[in-house]
Amino acid sequence: MADLQERKIKDAQMRATINQKLVETGERERLKELLRTRLIECGWRDQLKAQCKEIVQSKGLEHITVDDLVAEITPKGRALVPDNVKKELLQRIRTFLAQQSSM
Amino acid sequence: MSLHGCEHLTSLKAAYGIQPFYIIHSYFIACSSIEARRVKAKSCFCHTCRYRGLRVHACLSCVYFGCYNEQHIHNHAKTKKHNLSVDLSYGTVYCYACGTFVYDEELENVARKQQRAAAATLGIKRDFAPWEPGQDEIELLRRNPKRRKVSENSHIGLRGLINLGNTCFMNCILQSLTHTPILRDYFLSDQHHCHMTANPQQCLVCEMGRLFQEFYSGVRTPYIPYKLLHLVWTNARHLAGYEQQDAHEFLIAALDVLHRHCQGTNGLSYSSSHHCNCIIDQIFTGGLQSDVTCKQCNNVSTTIDPIWDISLDLGPGPGSTTAAIAAGSNLVLSAVGDPALPMAVGPALVDLPTASLSPASGFTNSPSNYEPTSLLDCLKRFTRPEHLGNSAKIKCSNCSSYQESTKQLTMKKSPIVACFHLKRFEHSTGYHKKISTYVSFPEELDMTPFMSSSRNNSNGYTNQIVRESATGLSCDNKYSLFAVVNHSGTIESGHYTCYIRSHKEQWFKCEDHVITRATAGEVLSSEGYLLFYHKQLLEYA
Repeated sequence: MADLQERKIKDAQMRATINQKLVETGERERLKELLRTRLIECGWRDQLKAQCKEIVQSKGLEHITVDDLVAEITPKGRALVPDNVKKELLQRIRTFLAQQSSM
Repeated sequence: MSLHGCEHLTSLKAAYGIQPFYIIHSYFIACSSIEARRVKAKSCFCHTCRYRGLRVHACLSCVYFGCYNEQHIHNHAKTKKHNLSVDLSYGTVYCYACGTFVYDEELENVARKQQRAAAATLGIKRDFAPWEPGQDEIELLRRNPKRRKVSENSHIGLRGLINLGNTCFMNCILQSLTHTPILRDYFLSDQHHCHMTANPQQCLVCEMGRLFQEFYSGVRTPYIPYKLLHLVWTNARHLAGYEQQDAHEFLIAALDVLHRHCQGTNGLSYSSSHHCNCIIDQIFTGGLQSDVTCKQCNNVSTTIDPIWDISLDLGPGPGSTTAAIAAGSNLVLSAVGDPALPMAVGPALVDLPTASLSPASGFTNSPSNYEPTSLLDCLKRFTRPEHLGNSAKIKCSNCSSYQESTKQLTMKKSPIVACFHLKRFEHSTGYHKKISTYVSFPEELDMTPFMSSSRNNSNGYTNQIVRESATGLSCDNKYSLFAVVNHSGTIESGHYTCYIRSHKEQWFKCEDHVITRATAGEVLSSEGYLLFYHKQLLEYA
C-alpha cells in the first residue's frame, strides 16, 4: 500500500514537472492549438455544440447554469474524442519529452 | 448574453479599471513572453489546496488563487467579499454574487488582443474564430423571423435544369458547380462584389450567384438557365450554337470567364500567368510541376504551370495518341542515332499540347503499354518519369548541349477542388472515336503519392523532399468525390448526365430536369468522364 502511495506521489510530481516544462516553453499552448484544430476538423466541436443546445433546451434557458452544463457535457466530450486525435497528441508530447531529456 | 458584465463588475472597473484583469491575463492566460510563461508555470495553483489543474481562478481584488471545483474561490469570495475572479484556464470572468460568468465588452477586447499577441510569439496562426453577428446582421435576423431548418431528408440545393436544345453538357457542369461545397458557401455568403462596373449585367459571376439563389430557393420546378447560357456564349464564342458541345470544354471556358469577370471588365485570361486571387483560382487552381532531368549532367529544370484540371489519357501507352505520331514514327526510326537530325524531328514529337497536359504524346520509350483500368492507374502513368528518347533531345541549359532526358510531371500544389478529365474522345485527323472502357474511380482519393514532395528522385533532391514532407500535413491531400459527369452514346450522338452528392452519402442523378436518388454503387460503376473531387479537410458532416 505504501508503495502505491509512493507511486502516486511520484506520478503527480512527474506530471507537475512535465506540465511546468510544457508551459514554460509554450508547447502547451501549441498543443492546445493543435488539439483545437483537430477537434474542429473531425466535427467534434459541432457535435458538442449540438449536445449543449439539447441540454439547454431540456433544462430551460432560464434555469440552466454553467455547472449543469459542465457536469453533463464533460464526460460526453471526453468520450467523443477520436482515437487518432489522442494518438497524435500523445506522439507530440512524447517527441517533446524526448527533446527535453536530450537537452 | 450581454456584453455589459454585471453591476459588480461595473463597480470593480470603476474602482480599479481594467489593470488587474490585464495583468492577470498577460501572466496567466495569454503569455507573450518567456518570463510570463515562467511565472505561469510556477505560480498557477490554488493557494488553499495547491491544486494545479484546470479551473483555478484568480481574484480580481487581491492576490489570491482558488480552485473552482473545491469551491475555494467561492469561499474566498464569500469571506472577503471579493465577488469577481478570472478563470485562468479560459480567461472568463466569474461573479460570485451573480453566481455565473459575466462578459464585458472592454475586457473581451483586451483578451482578444492578448490572445493574438501570444499566438504570434509562439508562431501559431489562429485563423478560426466563431462567427459573431454584427449589429446589421442582428437587425436582419430580427426583421426576418422565418427560419428554414435543413433536415436530413431536405432537398434544398437540388433543382432540375431545362435542356435548351442539346445543352445537357452545360446542365451537367452547372449541377457540378452548384454542388461544389466551397463554391456554394462563397455565393450563399454573398462574398462576390462585382467589379464589372462598366456593364454589370454581363457579369457571369453575378449570374452564377443568381443560379445559387435559385437552387437554394426551395422552388421545385426546373430552372431555365437561359441568361447564363447567353453570357457564356457571348464570352466564349467557340461554344455558341445549338450543337452538342464537350462538357469538359464548357467547364474550362466557364471557369475562364468566371475568372476573368472576377477581376472586372478588363480581366486577364487564364493563360496569362498573372497571380489572381479570385474564388476560381482559390478553389480550382492547382500547380503542375514538370521536371526535366538532363541525363548527362543531372541538372533538373523545373517549371510549374497553373492548371484547372488534369486530363488523363486512356488506352495503351504511346499508341493512343494522334495519327500524326503514327505518321511521324517513320521519321523517328530513321533519326535514331543521327546526331544531325534530332531537332528536326523534335518539335513534332515533343510539342506538348498544353491544353491536354498529357505526357504520353510522342515519347517512344514509354515503358508500359497497358491500358489503365482505374483512376489511380491513370495518375500513376501521368506522374511516371518518362524517358525522352534519342529523337526528342532537349537543350540542357547547364551543360549547353542536346541531351537525352527524363521528364516527370507531379502535382506541386493540390487544388481544393480537383477535376479529372478522362480523355475518352479521340480527335485524330480523319477519325473520331470514343473510348468507352470502364475506368474505376474511388470515393476517397489520396493524392499524396502524386505530389511533388513524394517524387522519387535519384538525382539528389532528397533535402527538398524531406523539408516538404515535414511541413505538409499528411491529411492535406485527401479528397472526396462529389460529382461525376457521364457521357452516354457515341461521339456523334451522345447525351450527358451527372451524379452529384448533396448531403453526406446522399447521391442524386441529374438528367436535365429530372433528378432522381442514386446509390454510391451506381455512381462508382458509371463510365465516368469528368470526376470532381473536393479536399476533405474543408468539408465535414
